Amino acid sequence: MKRIGQMIVVCVLSLSLMTGCWNRRELDELGILSGVAIDRAGKDYQVAAQVIIPDQVNSRTGGGKAPVTLYKAKGATLFEAFRNLTTTSPRKIYTAHIQTLVLSEEVAHEGVAKVLDLLVRNQETRMNYVVMVAKQVPAEQIMNVLTPLEKVPADSLFNSLETSSNIWSPVSKITVDMLMDQLTTEGIHPVLPGVTTTGNAPASQAATKEEIDVPVKLVLSELAVFKGDKLAGWLSPSEARGYNYITDKVKSSVGHLKCPDGKLLAIEIIRTKTKLKCMLVNGEPVIEVLVETDSNIGEETCNLDISSPVTIKELEQNAEIRANTLMKKSVDTMQQKYKIDIFGFGNLIYKTHPKLWKTLEKDWDEHFSKLQVIYKTKMHIRNTGMTSNSLTRIMKE
Amino acid sequence: MEVIPIPSNKDTRLHAELHETVQYIKDIMGDSPDLIIRDMTLAQDWHIALLYMNGLADVQMIQTSILNSLIENSSAYNSDQTMHPLHYMKEKLLSVGDIEWMHHFDTLFTHLLSGDAILLMNGYPDALRIGVTGREERSISEPTSQPSIRGPMDAFTETLETNVSLIRRRMKDPQLWLEKYSIGQVTKTSVAIMYQKSLANDDLIKEVKQRLNRIDMDGILESGYIEEFIQDHKYTPFPTVYNSERPDTIVAGLLEGRVAILIDGTPFVLLVPGLFIHFMQTSEDYYQRSDISTLIRLIRYLSFFIVLLAPSLYIAITTYHQEMLPTNLLLNLAAQREGVPFPAFIEALMMEIVYEILREAGIRMPRTVGQAVSIVGTLVIGQAAVEAGIISAAMVIIVSITAISSYVIPANAMSISVRILRFILMGLAASFGLFGILIGSILLALHMNSLQSFGVPYMSPIAPFNLDNQKDTLFRIPWPRMIKRPSSINPKDSIRMARSKGTK
Repeated sequence: MKRIGQMIVVCVLSLSLMTGCWNRRELDELGILSGVAIDRAGKDYQVAAQVIIPDQVNSRTGGGKAPVTLYKAKGATLFEAFRNLTTTSPRKIYTAHIQTLVLSEEVAHEGVAKVLDLLVRNQETRMNYVVMVAKQVPAEQIMNVLTPLEKVPADSLFNSLETSSNIWSPVSKITVDMLMDQLTTEGIHPVLPGVTTTGNAPASQAATKEEIDVPVKLVLSELAVFKGDKLAGWLSPSEARGYNYITDKVKSSVGHLKCPDGKLLAIEIIRTKTKLKCMLVNGEPVIEVLVETDSNIGEETCNLDISSPVTIKELEQNAEIRANTLMKKSVDTMQQKYKIDIFGFGNLIYKTHPKLWKTLEKDWDEHFSKLQVIYKTKMHIRNTGMTSNSLTRIMKE
Repeated sequence: MEVIPIPSNKDTRLHAELHETVQYIKDIMGDSPDLIIRDMTLAQDWHIALLYMNGLADVQMIQTSILNSLIENSSAYNSDQTMHPLHYMKEKLLSVGDIEWMHHFDTLFTHLLSGDAILLMNGYPDALRIGVTGREERSISEPTSQPSIRGPMDAFTETLETNVSLIRRRMKDPQLWLEKYSIGQVTKTSVAIMYQKSLANDDLIKEVKQRLNRIDMDGILESGYIEEFIQDHKYTPFPTVYNSERPDTIVAGLLEGRVAILIDGTPFVLLVPGLFIHFMQTSEDYYQRSDISTLIRLIRYLSFFIVLLAPSLYIAITTYHQEMLPTNLLLNLAAQREGVPFPAFIEALMMEIVYEILREAGIRMPRTVGQAVSIVGTLVIGQAAVEAGIISAAMVIIVSITAISSYVIPANAMSISVRILRFILMGLAASFGLFGILIGSILLALHMNSLQSFGVPYMSPIAPFNLDNQKDTLFRIPWPRMIKRPSSINPKDSIRMARSKGTK
């Protein structure tokens, strides 16, 4: 009994006196970081941290004021810049829940690896936030736009990227772990989605005005291509679409075909699967891109008799050709304009013909520009929706 | 006032002189007015005295079975007979079933104060104890602490004999043995053990008897006294002796080969060994369909963990591991915490203590003020504290779910012990986060596995694991499939039913 009493006293004292409650942070001591924008300011990095104001996000207590605030700081290294944030922010910036990282074009040109190092090294940060490049505008400005539907702008970016990449083929969502993967894998160069703003009004006023159509919006734009970790250029949406097909990133999308009468027919892609094959022809590698796609007719304005299997067959062939052209355009741009293999063809050769890769590895970019690529698309139109022939056709009959 | 010494020698014999004996009894009992002494002289010049306690003995029965018989029939005694007159009365006159010889004062007092009538006769140092106990008692009512929807609605009462009858009524087997003891120097409480001789392990019976014999105390008022004396481990929050006020639960235990301990004066009957799983079972599990019972049992175990861990997990995650929360939940919780002046731990501690206070008040307060307390409890403490910004709403939710879950654990003793442990885990969570909870849980598991109840591992059949016994642990298999009795209790006969009939 006496011994147990002594033990209890020792335990209570040591628990209450010796522990410093290491690492304990109450929720109201956190500045929850939603997004970061990194710009270059002369020699220094400028960090703009978008910190959530929980009160304003909460549906019960919120309303009236902006749901986020922006803290800015400069520093010779990123880490210093981050710590420097505390001179303006009353709370320690908590990075675990970061959604979006936006880099300015300048920073991207210099190389993203330097920037990523800090964020990846930090044990607190999750690895599933998206990385983007701000096109034509300072990265800070992206963080400065208020978004009406999603209260937190960084969340809004994250969500629209996620939604778009699921249903719209030109957009791809690249999270930081994917980016690191691409940076460190042989025979592939990374890409990042671009983001920009529209409208001319001062950005910070955007959502505070009681207007339905907010003057400044965030728009996902082109695809940034990198040589190594350095920004090399941009791919247009249609080129980006080809990239996404080849790398099998498309989940579903919409495309259009021209009918014989010049009008358009929209096709909804519901499933698509891409396989890359590497063959050797006369000792030279040839890449074969095999795409198999299931789709529906989504919109038809051109008086075709789509109830007939023959028409459908023709449409399928048209679509196959169009898909092949899209991919070819994208590959051509990369081969001729940039000479950068963002598709991972090199990686495919490395996996299938490792010995051959040894000989190609050194000047792969040169080899890539001459690489022969064959496109084979198999398009199935499965469904014509709730009606068969278009209204215009039925009305004529 | 002169104090008459109580006979120190237990074997002080009765006096032959009637008035001496009577005077002695009167002196010892301080001439208590509820001691009724009926002095009378019957035919044959028999000078007798009938002693009984007013209120404990059945006056009606004394009148008809003793006094009437004696007065009317004593004249039939033939003085030629060499038979001891008291013996004659016992054999021929008294129409009472329970009748016995006595020769010593200490037994006389015990029986007199238990409600028996004592018949003394001048000239003989002997007495007859006549069982006419007829004290006022509560009738059998519904179980209040362990209610059920389906199942018998009778509960034990405060009377030992009634309780024994409630068990006997359900088990008509000559092998159901009953042994009676008297424990408590002053209270001389009747304590009985009951077991099915053909099932209960002999070592277990021996152990129970030994432990009961070791108790040497002035008074036993409730089964809780006995429980604390006979449990294997004194320093554990977990109960290792089962108790119930439901006869069906006790009978089910007897059928598994366990031993019941009945104590006069309380409706709570003990059952040993009491294992962890027993405290998570109710008798209704066996009356409802097995699938329903299984679901409810799983929910009970879930509730066990909610009571144990919900507040501490909340503290640990919101103060150390915010990265584990989904972003939207984090924002929601953070918004609620804005402006709350206390750390989450203090907040949780305050609310849990307030809840315990409310609970205790709910039990102790007079029924008439119940309304007031519940209004104050819910409105003032729940709603007002949140609106005033002193407590976050999420904390109220956590405390409420903990409170409700604690009542899902069927045994009150277990529910209390989990509530105690919850505070320890909260402290660990506040100082070390999830690591603290992990350490606490490991220590708890070690402790629980080290416990025994009458030599049976407390966590069996979970640890040590026994596949056969799992049929009635987390799950409740349909009756026809439960062919064997739980083996952890080591019954003499492990087969519960004829295999061929049972598995049809």
